[in-house]
Parts: sequence; structure tokens; C-alpha cells
Amino acid sequence: MWLSSVFLKTLRDYRIPILGWGIGMGLVVVSPMASVASLVTTPEARQQLASLAASFAWNADPVAVTTIGGYATFKIGIFIFLITVWPILAGSRMLRGEEERGSLDVLLSVPRPRLRVALEKLAAMWTALLAMGLLIGLVAFAGGRTFGGDFGLGDALLFGLDLALIGAVFGGLALLISQFTQERGPAAGATAGLLLVFIILDMFHRIAPNSEWISRLSPIYYYNLSKGLIPSYGVNAGAMVLLAVLAIGLGGIAVWLFNRRDVGGTVPLPRWLRLPERQASRVLPVGDWSLRSVYARSLRTIAMPAFWWTLGIAGFAGWMVYAVQLLETKMSTLLSGNAGFTQLIKNIGGGDASLNAGLLSAMFVFLPLFLMAFAVTQVNGWSADEQDGRLDLVLATPQPRLSVLLGRFAALASATIAISVVTLLVCAWVAVAAGLHLDWGNLAAAILGTIPLGLLVAGIGYLASGWLRSAADTGLLSFLLAFWFFVSFIGPELNLPDVTLRLSPFYYYGSPLLNGLQLTSILGIIAVGAVALALGAVRFVRKDIGV
Amino acid sequence: MTAMIEVQGLTKNYGSKRGISDVSFQVEEGHVFGFLGPNGAGKTTTIRLLMALLKPDAGSARIAGLDCWEKSVEIKRLIGYVPGEPALDPNLTGGQILEYFAHLRGGVDQAYLKQLVERFELDTSRKFRQYSTGNKRKVVLIQAFMHRPRLLILDEPTSGLDPLNQQEFDRMVFEARNEGRTVFLSSHVLSEVEKTCATVGIIRDGSLVRIGDVAEVKAIKRYEVTITFANPVPAEAFKTVDGVIEVETLNHGHAVRLTMQGPADAVIKAAAHYPVVSLTSYEPSLEDIFLRYYEEDGPRATEAHHVA
Repeated sequence: MWLSSVFLKTLRDYRIPILGWGIGMGLVVVSPMASVASLVTTPEARQQLASLAASFAWNADPVAVTTIGGYATFKIGIFIFLITVWPILAGSRMLRGEEERGSLDVLLSVPRPRLRVALEKLAAMWTALLAMGLLIGLVAFAGGRTFGGDFGLGDALLFGLDLALIGAVFGGLALLISQFTQERGPAAGATAGLLLVFIILDMFHRIAPNSEWISRLSPIYYYNLSKGLIPSYGVNAGAMVLLAVLAIGLGGIAVWLFNRRDVGGTVPLPRWLRLPERQASRVLPVGDWSLRSVYARSLRTIAMPAFWWTLGIAGFAGWMVYAVQLLETKMSTLLSGNAGFTQLIKNIGGGDASLNAGLLSAMFVFLPLFLMAFAVTQVNGWSADEQDGRLDLVLATPQPRLSVLLGRFAALASATIAISVVTLLVCAWVAVAAGLHLDWGNLAAAILGTIPLGLLVAGIGYLASGWLRSAADTGLLSFLLAFWFFVSFIGPELNLPDVTLRLSPFYYYGSPLLNGLQLTSILGIIAVGAVALALGAVRFVRKDIGV
Repeated sequence: MTAMIEVQGLTKNYGSKRGISDVSFQVEEGHVFGFLGPNGAGKTTTIRLLMALLKPDAGSARIAGLDCWEKSVEIKRLIGYVPGEPALDPNLTGGQILEYFAHLRGGVDQAYLKQLVERFELDTSRKFRQYSTGNKRKVVLIQAFMHRPRLLILDEPTSGLDPLNQQEFDRMVFEARNEGRTVFLSSHVLSEVEKTCATVGIIRDGSLVRIGDVAEVKAIKRYEVTITFANPVPAEAFKTVDGVIEVETLNHGHAVRLTMQGPADAVIKAAAHYPVVSLTSYEPSLEDIFLRYYEEDGPRATEAHHVA
């Protein structure tokens, strides 16, 4: 049945993202609901939370933040990034990805109009987004029931529908842009860039008076006009219709353009926008440093993703340092009146939350997580290279397998160290510029101490890639990250036994911003990572390649 | 003459999937060896075992006297390799790929590399992902030849090449042979093997079913002879003649088409009893021979003893 039409086949391809993204995003929505009760134990705390949220208005509208639905809506404001990742990838891959692989040629050789094929694929993406929205709504409703939310099933489903619609807008935009690019990557990148621009445009009216007209240029503004989880606010039917029209319009134009252009080609741009014709050449890049060894080549390959991760991680860390300085007074007031929140901050940060370092420690808990996520993406590249046969020719040269593996790992280690060092420099600069007093040794320990955690994940990933295929390897590492974070973040609240807490490397990372690094703990992480890498190397040296 | 490749009882299992079983052969140094078989017969598995990308379950493979698995780094100094499905970093240009592999091989003669680029008229400035199938194949061929290896292991090397570049490839194989280098060439394009190889091995369902000189393999040929006569001739006149397998009457008995195996002497003598207008013999291609080996319930079982 699932292979009886292009629509059903495409929907079948989306079944895992539907479940994974739908339930995953649902849990992202539900996770802030768990902490609301402990934040609003007294009228004063309720007022302070509202006041705190107002100071974060640049992130999202602080509407009814003391309710379960309002707090969740406020907290996931910035997660629009996360929510639109899948539709952007799906939109850019839908036609362009298939053209790159050559599979669209075969598909279009069947006696079926090209327009219909494209429309069926587009309809499948929309259906997948609606299914995801449905799952997100159901999970959000279940969360609301569990934690005492005041919104009903219909409200939750409308919330999910709003998410599906904004996803369809960005999926359609990616699909449209991919009609102008030769490859799917630039289309996804350009759409992600536009997403960033739209997020900033949407922020304008919340931070600058009389600037709503600017925000109206962003589709995210219309997405934010509906707040299904806040019954007193409700949804804006007009805004949702506008998003639907926008999604249909973008997708429709993309399909129309696809129907008129060459398969494998692009929509021709005006002459003045075209790049100059490239001349054929037989020149060899003899002096290129990045081609001299596996390590150099791997370093060059990792450089661009490392640059973007550095920008994100160092930017996040620097912003957190600045935010702590800004929020110092307000947080002190809030925390002095609320033991629950203080305890939560202690659980996360591991120290006295009235201190700058305590606040920063609570926020810095994401730093090792981000660096570990970077390692996961690079391990994915390693296992995908083997799976796709890209190691075959390298291993056909007189390079020992061990050297190839260690060259790749060394490049990853170099990038990890570079990200951490740049992050440290940015944080130190921001702290000095903002006049925030911190223990410099502990700041260095907190940031540089994330390096062993990143390398631990890489070591485990290299070991697992000896048996698992790329997707399974990445899935395992992602699960481990989520599990460790859950154990360390929620574990103390759930009174999990110490032996369980010790399963997470975050436990050994501790709270270096407050207490410095525990040398034995860090050496332990390094040792486990080294053992994993050594075992992974032994396995790689002995295994069948690509099997 | 010494053996460049020695394979003895080589076996590789993939669990439920087919691998190869008890494959044995030798390739002498300076020879061009054709390795024939249809898709899934075990050609690529054999080659990946030679390249130490796979570890054998049983048996041994040696190149220049060195065990392929134990001395993989040493033997790869001797080898130029073209994989069946070349996968390379799609973001590198053709020129970057060639320079990268030149460095991984410890450096190559840049003048010779440039000469190969010129011979294949490769545009080195395009990214690998932007190349056509044929141009991707050119990049991989150049990287296999650029360090003048003692042994070339080529897995379906001309797949996707246009006829002109196939001719260029043939010339390069002849040059390699004339310089005393060894070529192990797997293919299911039989005319390619026929043109370039002195010795041929045929693999089927993971087992080597025949090995020998190209001429020797051709000797087991079935071929057709069409004889046109001035007057009608009865088919029975040829049915019992030695070497004749099948007789077909054409043009109301004025001609016969004979399917034959072995020497044609008896047929010529039988035809001499009648006034012959013309006689045409069709030389079998390896394609015909190859197809015969893959006929269901064909002669494989009866001819397995020919395996060297």
C-alpha cells in the first residue's frame, strides 16, 4: 500500500521523522511545564516570575507565564530554531536532494506528469507536518493533564497546528530556494539564514517601541499571534490562515518553477545575478596544505562546521555572561524569595545561586552538551564515510588504518580544543567589558573542562561505529546525551540514587565555575574516552570495511 | 616467471548474503588478467579481499609474496586501485583529489600526473560531485595509474567512459603490460577483457568456474557456420557429422546454418559432396562463451574440471 503512489512512498520515508520529531518536540514543549509548580509557590514568587519573564521579552511574549501553558509557550519561544530544522531539511531535499542522487530521473521516467509528482511530494511533506503537529499537540495535552494545565485537547491541537503551519512555511521556502541552487546544502543554509533574519525581525516589536510594522514582515510574528496553550489568549484564526496561504503560495511557486526548468538544472537567474562562467582548467593544486595528510584534510573538512559551532557556542556563552550581569539584581530578588527555584538552580549549577558564578554555572550546563553534540555530528561523518565507501580509496593507499582513524580523531580533537579556547576568550572579554567579577581560573576550568567530555563522546562514537551503521551510531550517541542530561538535570529532583547519577559524565564534570575541576574526575573521563578510542581503533584495524 | 597474485582457497561469507568460496588462482607478473562474472558473482568481494578491505574467513591471498591482510600497507605501495563504485569527497575538485592521493602515496611524478590529466582531458577545477559519471571514472583511473604501480587492480574500470576514453584506457593497459607491470581487471564487458587480457578467470555464484588463456577459453566455443549451396541439400546430410550440434535449413534447402563445437574439418568434407556457393563462419565473442557459462543447468558442472 505504501508503495502505490509517490505521495504514500514519500510519506513512508517520513515515518521515522514524524514519530521522532513529533514526540521529541512534544517533550520539548512539556519539559518546562514540570518546573512551573515549584516556581509559583507564593504570590510573591508568581509576581517575580512574571517580572523575570518580562525582562526576557526579547525571546518571546511573556503572556500568562505563571500558568502551565503560558510558561511553556514562553520557554519554547527560542526553540523555533529547533522546530523548523526538519521542514527546512525536508524542503531542500524534496526535489533537489533527489536530483543530486539522480533518483528523480528514474521517477520522472514513469508516465506521470512532473507536476503531479512534485505536488504529491509536497502534499506528503504537509501531511507529515500535520502528523507531527498532531503528535506535538497530543503530547502537550498529556503534559498539561499531568502538571495541572488549564488548556484542553482542542487548544493543544491548535497549538500543534500552528507549529505545523510555520513548519510548512519554512519547508516551502526551502523548496522554493532549492529551485535556484545546484545542491540542497546551500538551499538549506540560505533558508536557515532567512529564518535567523525573520526571528530578529519578529523580536523588533518586543524590544523597540513603534516597530511592529517591521515584525509584520516576518512569518514568525504571525506564528506567535496564536498561543493555543493559553486559553485566555487563544489562537488568531486570521494569522493561521495567512500562514497556510503563505505555505501554499511558496510551495506552489516552487512546484511551478520546477515544472518549467530542466531536471538537474536551476531556474535561470537574470544575467546580472549570474556568476561568471568558469573556465575549464588542468591545473593541479600542488601547494595546498590541506591535501598533505589525512589529518590536514580532516582538519580542513571540519573547519567550516567548527566555525559555525564556535560562533554558536562562544556566542551563547558570551551572551550568558552578559545576561548574568544584566539579571544579577532581578535574579537575586527572585531567588531570595523562592527556595524551590534556588534549589533547582543549585541542582543545575551545583552551588550558591546568589553568586554570579552560581547563575552562570546554571546556564553553562549547556556548554558541555553543545560541545558533545558537535562531537556527535563529526562522528556521524566518520561512520557515514565508511558506510558510503569514501574510505575505500584512502585505505587503498599505503596508510595504516590506525593512522587514518587517529588522523580523523586528531582533527576532531583540534577543533574541539579550538572551539573551547575561543569560547573562553570570548567569555573573558565579555566579563571584563561588562564588569562581571569571576574567578578566572574557574572560568577557564569550566570551559576547557568541556574538552574531555567532547572527546569522550567522540571516543564512544568511534568505538560504536565499529559495529553500527551511521544512523544507529548517531542515534546511540544522541540517546546517551539525552540520558546523561536527564540524569544530571532531573535526577536530583527525582532523588535518583547516587550510583545512577554517577552514570553521567556531567556528574564528574561537576560545577567547575564554582569549585574548579576535580582532577581525578576529569582524568577518569579522559581515561574512559581513551579506552573507548583504543578499543575503537583495535576494532577498526581488524574489521571489514563497509560491511 | 613469478606470481604477482597468489590466491589459495580464499573464502568470505557475509552470513545470509553470498560471498566467495574456495577461490584459487595465480596471476603471473607482467600479465593482464581478466576477471569475469555477472553482478553479485563475487568479483568485488575477491578484489576487496586482495585490497585488505575485507578479512578472509579462510584461505590466503598474497601479492608479490606478501600476505594481503598481514602486510596490507606494504602491498598497497605496489598497487593502483580502481573501485567498482568510486566514492570520494564530493566537495573536493578533481585536482585536489589527485594531489591528496599523491601525498598519501608519498608523492608522485608531477609531470607524469599532468600527462595523465592531459591524456584524459580532465577538467581538474570542478568539484567531484559536479562531474559526470565518466569524468568521475577518469579521476579514479588517473589516481590509480599516477604512481606507476607494479600491480593495477581495476574493478570494472571503464564503466561510464565514452569510447574514445575507453581506447585511451586500453592504450594505458597495454603500456603498463609492455613495461612489465601486472593488471588485474574485473569486468562484465567481455569485449574489454578480450581486447586487453591474456588470461581470463570466470567466477559464478562465488566460485571460480574456469581459468585459462583467452584463446583457450575461446576453444570451448560454440559457433555458427552458414553454407549456401547451388542446389537444395537435405539437413540429414549434416546431422550426424562430428562437431555439429544443431542444423537449421534456410532458403528452401539452399542453405544450412550449423551450430558447431570443435574442429570444422568433418563439416567441410561433408559439404564438399555438394556444389558450395559460399561459406560463412561466425567467430564467437567472449560474450557468447560467457553467456554459455551462465546458462541455467548449462555446461558448468561438466566443465568444472577445466579449472586450473
